[in-house]
Amino acid sequence: MKPGRMDKIISDVKSFPSMSNMPVKILKLIDDPQSSAAKIEELLRYDPGITANILKLTNSAYFGLSSRVGSVRQAIVLLGWRHLGKLVVASCVNAILDKPVPGYDLPAGELWRHSIAVSVAAELLAKELGISANDEIFTAALLHDLGKLVLANYVREDLQAIETAAGEGIPFHAAERRVLGTDHAEIGARLLKSWSFPLSLVKAVRWHHDPDAAKEPRAITDLVHVANMLCLMIGIGVGREGLRYEPSQAAAKRLGLKTRQLEFVASQTLQWANELSEVFEAGQANVGSPPATGAE
Amino acid sequence: MRHVVQVGDMKIGIDGDVVVTHALGSCLGFMLYDPVARVGGLLHAMLPLSRINPQKAEANPYMFVDTGVVRLFNEIYNRGGKKSRLVAKAAGCGRPIGNNEMFKIGERNYTVLKKLLWKNNILLDAEAVGGTVSRTVHFYISSGKIIIKTGQQETEL
Repeated sequence: MKPGRMDKIISDVKSFPSMSNMPVKILKLIDDPQSSAAKIEELLRYDPGITANILKLTNSAYFGLSSRVGSVRQAIVLLGWRHLGKLVVASCVNAILDKPVPGYDLPAGELWRHSIAVSVAAELLAKELGISANDEIFTAALLHDLGKLVLANYVREDLQAIETAAGEGIPFHAAERRVLGTDHAEIGARLLKSWSFPLSLVKAVRWHHDPDAAKEPRAITDLVHVANMLCLMIGIGVGREGLRYEPSQAAAKRLGLKTRQLEFVASQTLQWANELSEVFEAGQANVGSPPATGAE
Repeated sequence: MRHVVQVGDMKIGIDGDVVVTHALGSCLGFMLYDPVARVGGLLHAMLPLSRINPQKAEANPYMFVDTGVVRLFNEIYNRGGKKSRLVAKAAGCGRPIGNNEMFKIGERNYTVLKKLLWKNNILLDAEAVGGTVSRTVHFYISSGKIIIKTGQQETEL
């Protein structure tokens, strides 16, 4: 590892453009039993971009509503509280995740498509396995690769060394760790922690490549792990590292996952991932709050 | 003309066309070509057997190896292809690290393809399958040439 490298990465984490504190605020409001649709509407009033995206997502085929929704309040009534949080987060992070990711060789839009696909797959897996889905599963899956945005330039700089390490048969994130002293899962978790996301979500992101290393196993972490592996295998957002990650036997066992269920979820994921990611392609001008400046 | 084949799709090309598919991980890329009729097709199938989701297979047979391969043969025959002249090649069917049987979708895709071909007395002329890489395929219909890209590397199949 190059001297001072880790300090530089940590400083990049600190100066990474925040995605607006809207998602955390909304997630707190949703958790609060005293909260009301009016309060959420009040908060969103100041961000017409996010409101527009929420309505576009609500009206997408994914939710299958028969009538067209024209207001956030109506969206809450028809979809329920549970769905609203994830729509807010998706609307806020689209602008960040839509960028090209050098180092991992992901062209513009691919990380977004991958993130949406993993969210869809994680929810479908939860449904298939009878695990009660909460919006944290969707959100953790959506944000699992956030760390790649910070690490991209470092990976590009030391690509040869990382490739050599990965060439020995270790997973790509382990090669990142060997060369850079950290990996994209750890960096993503640090970012989300600094933005005050719930701990279980932070942990799911932290251990998404290595769920067995988490202190206590959690279904949310195992679901993100399996969903991520599956989406890479079916080629959604697969970068230069290809399939060089290792699916955990124990995670599949903890979830009680069967091969048949994994393949069934794969067959369902593609269509919904395309539906949801295309919602944003139609109106790129309508992204949420622009990120603050300050990062490289 | 350039045709891009998405996951779970198939495209036919004629003389002068190039048929492309990106990001073959564990999916099967199956290329079928008649050098005399100068017609070729590329299938990008995600899963081995359509019985996993019959409803989906009805709407989109190209998502599955068993239904997609059969469809591709029929499409080539409909466009003047002859079985005796057909050249069949395969790419993809990769796998993640480790030995987790459940995640060997690529190997299952390959097995179903080989079974189908064997039943119909057809052999694969070339293949670039397995491993942990993601592959892109360029299939030039005029010459039948197939180029496989993995990262910066290009090889002819």
